[in-house]
Amino acid sequence: MADPLVLGFAGLGALVALIALRLPIAYAMILVGGVGVTLLNGPAIFMAQLKTLAYGQFSIFDLSVVPLFILMGALATRVGLSADMFRAANAWFGSLRGGTAMASVVACAIFGAVCGSSIATASTMGKVALPELRRVSYSPALATGTLAAGGVLGILIPPSVVLILYAVLVEASIVTMFMAALLPGLLAVALFMLVIAVTVTVRPASGPAGEAVDRAELRAASLAVIPVALIFLAVIGGLYIGLYNPVPAASIGVALVALYGFGRKRLAWSGSREALLETARLSGMIYLILLGAEMLKIFMSRAGVPQAAAEWMVQSDLAPMTILIVLLVVLIALGCLMDSLSMILLAIPFFWPVLVELNGTGAGFGMDTEHLKIWFGILALIVVELGLITPPVGLNVFVISSIAKDVPMGEVFKGVLPFFSAELLRVGLLLAFPSIVLVLPLWLGG
Amino acid sequence: MEQGAARKGGFRRTCARLIAGWAQCGAGVLCAVVLINVASVIGSIFGAPFAGDFELTQVGIAVAVFAFLPYAQLTGANVSADIFTARAGPRVVAALTGIGSLVALGFALLLLTRMSTGLADQKAYGYTTTILQFPHWIAFVPILISLALLALAALLSFIKQVEAARNG
Repeated sequence: MADPLVLGFAGLGALVALIALRLPIAYAMILVGGVGVTLLNGPAIFMAQLKTLAYGQFSIFDLSVVPLFILMGALATRVGLSADMFRAANAWFGSLRGGTAMASVVACAIFGAVCGSSIATASTMGKVALPELRRVSYSPALATGTLAAGGVLGILIPPSVVLILYAVLVEASIVTMFMAALLPGLLAVALFMLVIAVTVTVRPASGPAGEAVDRAELRAASLAVIPVALIFLAVIGGLYIGLYNPVPAASIGVALVALYGFGRKRLAWSGSREALLETARLSGMIYLILLGAEMLKIFMSRAGVPQAAAEWMVQSDLAPMTILIVLLVVLIALGCLMDSLSMILLAIPFFWPVLVELNGTGAGFGMDTEHLKIWFGILALIVVELGLITPPVGLNVFVISSIAKDVPMGEVFKGVLPFFSAELLRVGLLLAFPSIVLVLPLWLGG
Repeated sequence: MEQGAARKGGFRRTCARLIAGWAQCGAGVLCAVVLINVASVIGSIFGAPFAGDFELTQVGIAVAVFAFLPYAQLTGANVSADIFTARAGPRVVAALTGIGSLVALGFALLLLTRMSTGLADQKAYGYTTTILQFPHWIAFVPILISLALLALAALLSFIKQVEAARNG
C-alpha cells in the first residue's frame, strides 16, 4: 500500500493531466476522487457513501440560493433591465469625454446588483452598449475593453454566485460576504472610471464626448432605474438589515423581476422558458462541479494533503503576507486553465487551512479567523475573476468579441489591459487596507 | 440506409426533447420553491408562517438540480479546459471529448445503482424530513429517473463524438 500522502499528490497530478486532456473539470474531480478513495480505503466505504452523497450535497440549504440567483439574473437579462440602466447612465455621463464608456461601467455595476454572473452581465450590456459606443466613434479597444472589464462587476457587486460557494466552503455567512463585497465593488467602479478618464485624457480621440440630453430625457431615463433600485433594495437591502435569509431574499428577487417583466409586457412565456433552461444548464454544471469537488475533498483530506501543505507552508518561515500573495498569484495562474467556479471549489479547500494555520502561529495576519475568512474571500473573488479578462480563456473577452465581430480578439485584450492593471491596484489596496472589506460587515453587524 | 439514418435522427431528437422536457419539469419544481419561499415571507408578515419551507426548499432544489444534470450534459455545459489541446485536430478533440462522455456514462450508471440501494435504505429505515414528515425515498424516485436520463444523454453525446472522430 502506497503512502497516503504520495497517493494524494499523485492524485493531484492526475487531476491536472486529465483536465489538460479536456476531460470536463467536474468529471476529472469525480474520477480522481472516486479512484483515490477506493485505493486508499478500499471500495466498500466509497460505495456506501455514494448511496446518499450526491443527495446530501444537492440538498445543502445554503446552496439553494445558487439556482435562485441564477434564475433571477437570467430573467433580468430578458426583461431589458440592462437597456434601462444604460439609457439612464448615458443620460448622466454621456456628454462627458469618455462619458459613454463610464456610463457602460455604471450600468454594468447597477445590473450587477440584480445579476450574480459576469458573463451574463458582459453579454447583455455588450449588446446594449457596444452599438452606442461605436456610434459615437469610440476606439474599438476602449469600447470592447470597457465592456469586457465592466462585466466582471456582475460578480463583484452582490449577489454573487462565486461568493456564495466560497461562503459555503469556509462556513461563512453569505450575508456577511455580500456586505463585505459591496465597498470593494464600488471601489472597482471608481477605478474603472478613473482608467477611462486617464485613457481619454492621454488619447482624446479614443473616447469622444457624446451629445447632451435634454431635461425630459434625463428625467425619463433616470426614472427607469427605479424598478431595479427597488428590486436591489428589497433583495440585498433586506438581507443586509436582516429582514430575511438568502433563500427567501433570492425567491423574492425572482418573483419581483418576473412580475415586473410580465407586468410591463417585456417578458413572454418563451422568454421565461429560455431563462429557465439557461438556469437548468448553469445549475446542472455548477452542482456537478460541486459534487466532484466534494469527492476530491474527501480523498485529499483522507490522504492528508491539505494538512501537509499547511504544515509545510508554516514551516517555510515565509511571512504570512508573502504566502497569501503567493496563493493569490496561484489563483491568477489557475485562471488560465479553468473557470472561476471550478477554481474556487478546487483551491479553497487547500488554501483556507493554510491561512488558518498561519494565522494561528506567530503574528499571523493581525486579525481573528472570522475576519480573515471575509477578507480572503473578497481577495480570492477578485483574483479568480481576473481569469475572465486575461488570455487564454478570458470568457468575458470571448463574449464581447463575439458581439463586436469586426474587432479582433487581440484588440479586446489590449483594451482590457488598463482595467486589468486597475484590478491589480485594487488587490494591492485591499491587501494594504483590509478595513475596506471589513468596515461594512462590522458596522452592519454581519 | 437513408431511412435508417432518418430514424436514428428521429430517435435522437425524441431523446433530446425528453431530456429538455425533464429539465423543464425540474424548472417547474424550482419555481415551486420560489413560490413557497415568497409565501413564507408574506405569511410571516401576517403572523402565519409557512411550516416546513426550509425542508421543502432542500428537497425541491435537490430534485430540480438532478433533473438539470441530463440537460447540462446534452447541451455540453460541463466546462473543460481547452488550452493544451487548442492545436489538436478535430478528430483528436472528438476522441478526447468522447472519453469524457464515457466517464459521464459510467458515473451516471454507478450513481444510478448506488442510489437505487439508497432509496431502498431510505424506505426500509423510514427516513423523513423533520417537520412535514415527508419520506425522503419519494424524492429519490425522480432523482433515479434523472440519473437514467443522464446516462442516456452521456450515451448520445458519446455516439455523436464517435461519429465526429470517424468522419474527421
